[in-house]
Amino acid sequence: MNKHKFIQQRRPHWKQFEEFLSNASGKSLAKLPAEELTKFSQLLREVSHDLATIRSRGWGHELTSYLNDLVARGHNLFYSAPPTNVAGLYRYLAVDFPRLFRANLGYFLTACLLFFLPLGISWCVVQNNPSLANRVIPAELITKFDQMYGDQSSLNTDEENTGGEQDAETSEDSNFGSFGDERASMAGFYINHNVGIALKCFALGILLGIGTVYTLLFNGIFLGAVSGYIVSQGNGDRFLSFVISHGSFELTAIAISGGAGLILGNALIHPGQRTRIQSLQVRGLEAVQIAGGAAVMLVVAAFIEAFWSPSDIPSLVKYIVGSGLWLIVFLYLGFAGLQSDTRPLAAKSRIPNKSTETELNGKRRP
Amino acid sequence: MISTATSEATSQTSDPAPQKDHSVRRTVFGLEMQIETPENVVLTYQLAGPAQRYIAYMIDLAIRMAILIGMMMVIPMLGIVLPGTATGILLVMIFLNTWGYYTISEGFFKGQSIGKHFCGLRVIRDGGYPITFWPALLRNLVRSADAIVFYGIGVTVMLLTRRFQRLGDLVAGTVVIQERSLSLPRKPVILDKIQPLDKNEIGSFLPSDEVLSLIDEFIGRRHVLTYDRGHALAAILANNLAERLNYSGDPKKVTQYPMAFLAAVYKTFSFSQEDDKQELASAYRPRNQSAEVNLE
Repeated sequence: MNKHKFIQQRRPHWKQFEEFLSNASGKSLAKLPAEELTKFSQLLREVSHDLATIRSRGWGHELTSYLNDLVARGHNLFYSAPPTNVAGLYRYLAVDFPRLFRANLGYFLTACLLFFLPLGISWCVVQNNPSLANRVIPAELITKFDQMYGDQSSLNTDEENTGGEQDAETSEDSNFGSFGDERASMAGFYINHNVGIALKCFALGILLGIGTVYTLLFNGIFLGAVSGYIVSQGNGDRFLSFVISHGSFELTAIAISGGAGLILGNALIHPGQRTRIQSLQVRGLEAVQIAGGAAVMLVVAAFIEAFWSPSDIPSLVKYIVGSGLWLIVFLYLGFAGLQSDTRPLAAKSRIPNKSTETELNGKRRP
Repeated sequence: MISTATSEATSQTSDPAPQKDHSVRRTVFGLEMQIETPENVVLTYQLAGPAQRYIAYMIDLAIRMAILIGMMMVIPMLGIVLPGTATGILLVMIFLNTWGYYTISEGFFKGQSIGKHFCGLRVIRDGGYPITFWPALLRNLVRSADAIVFYGIGVTVMLLTRRFQRLGDLVAGTVVIQERSLSLPRKPVILDKIQPLDKNEIGSFLPSDEVLSLIDEFIGRRHVLTYDRGHALAAILANNLAERLNYSGDPKKVTQYPMAFLAAVYKTFSFSQEDDKQELASAYRPRNQSAEVNLE
């Protein structure tokens, strides 16, 4: 068998395979009829074999690279993941995300410590000594908070980004349409701002977790100082009733994304039995799914914050509903997907290693 | 005699195989990445370097800017009716443009953002599999860490890793490869005009398959070189081959037209190793083969 006879014999098959590839490039393989799939898998193996033959005989670079690319394309198509769809999204939110969250609970708790502890401390300190607020919060923000939660501001005009909204407050009560419209703009603002912070908080975990820790501490101290300052000015009721509802989703989600960032950082610091890169890849895939869930929670929080929190409803109702939302968040993260016995996650196949690893890491952590 | 010759040929082709394998493995550190498929065959991908990726990035940046400016012009039109909602939508769009452009394009369009598409680049998993949503999201979220100091971190890490991976690629287990266009190499036209060597003028030596395919490739790509350079290079092999073959024909053929001589050698051995009638019937170029049969 020499090169030319080989080419002569195999060429029709290659052409056929090429044709198949160009036909199937747009669609997913799942939609093809069974006999075509069988034919395709047969051809893929044949062409792979041809490639191996040609390479071992040293029959030229061009021919090798042609077949190499042919096989590469086939490989790419044949081993592609099933397409993502709405059912997958539902399953992710209902089962996978809460499960992954619980599997990595330690990171979340650490992130909570890094976030809520500074928040509490700076709240207490600033509330007892409001003059310290100047050190953390820019002066123009302080005057804005005074306006927003102050006596002269009716509760339903709480705005965070524009103090100029004050003018609108007279017309606002009469016209629900304009109310909803303004809220929509705020929803956009919250999504852009908060989800951006959370994603950054997660992504910066790659820098040995330093970026995440910094973001968590900074936001914790800042939010604590703001809260402490507003409460110290005697606007506590207005502020807390505003914050309690969306805080459930928002604060938890920030801590969750921080926890995901810590997973990345810890994967680099304590790779366990793997190399650092391997550990980063394995843990990173879990971490990003957790961070994605946090982003979804923040979008929910943005809508609550924009449409429900500032609405003209007695504080008591807001407290009750807000507590309900905290309960929902707790139940969701704590129990969703517990009884589901469907297929295991792709990332879950490594659970045995991982649980021992987290135990180890838990012991090492001071 | 022919049977011994073929057995010799097979022994020759089987011998250099491990050597070849070895040399392939040694050249890996270049711009290529190798993976082994479940079919037990090694695939080679050509990696994309920082410069190419920079160009793709600039194209993407321009497109993102254009999208942003376009939205800023279009959405305020809606703002005439509902100014607040328009602002909200604009902000969400800005968010998606910042955080979602790459994830959506790479996650749902087979690893190609628009800039990568123009530059012929593609993101794949490092196992050669196509990229899916989660790795796409991961590599593009970590982009914000890579982007510190004008992508200083990303480029530094890229230059330190063997596969030009930035941090996002390392975490998500992805690589950016260059796509090549599929084209089966054509048979050089020159071979049609060349007569094979006369069997009486050469000895019993059989060039190995590798030498033959080397000649094949050399002739196929001879346009890359100038006439003089091409012939100078061909002369090296032609002289050696003529010596080995005990070529007793016109020595001018070797010295003056070494390329034509190589082509003649190629034609002689590539088309007449087996003279089995059946195989001749289904040979690559029946016309030439029949001419050879006449010669023999």
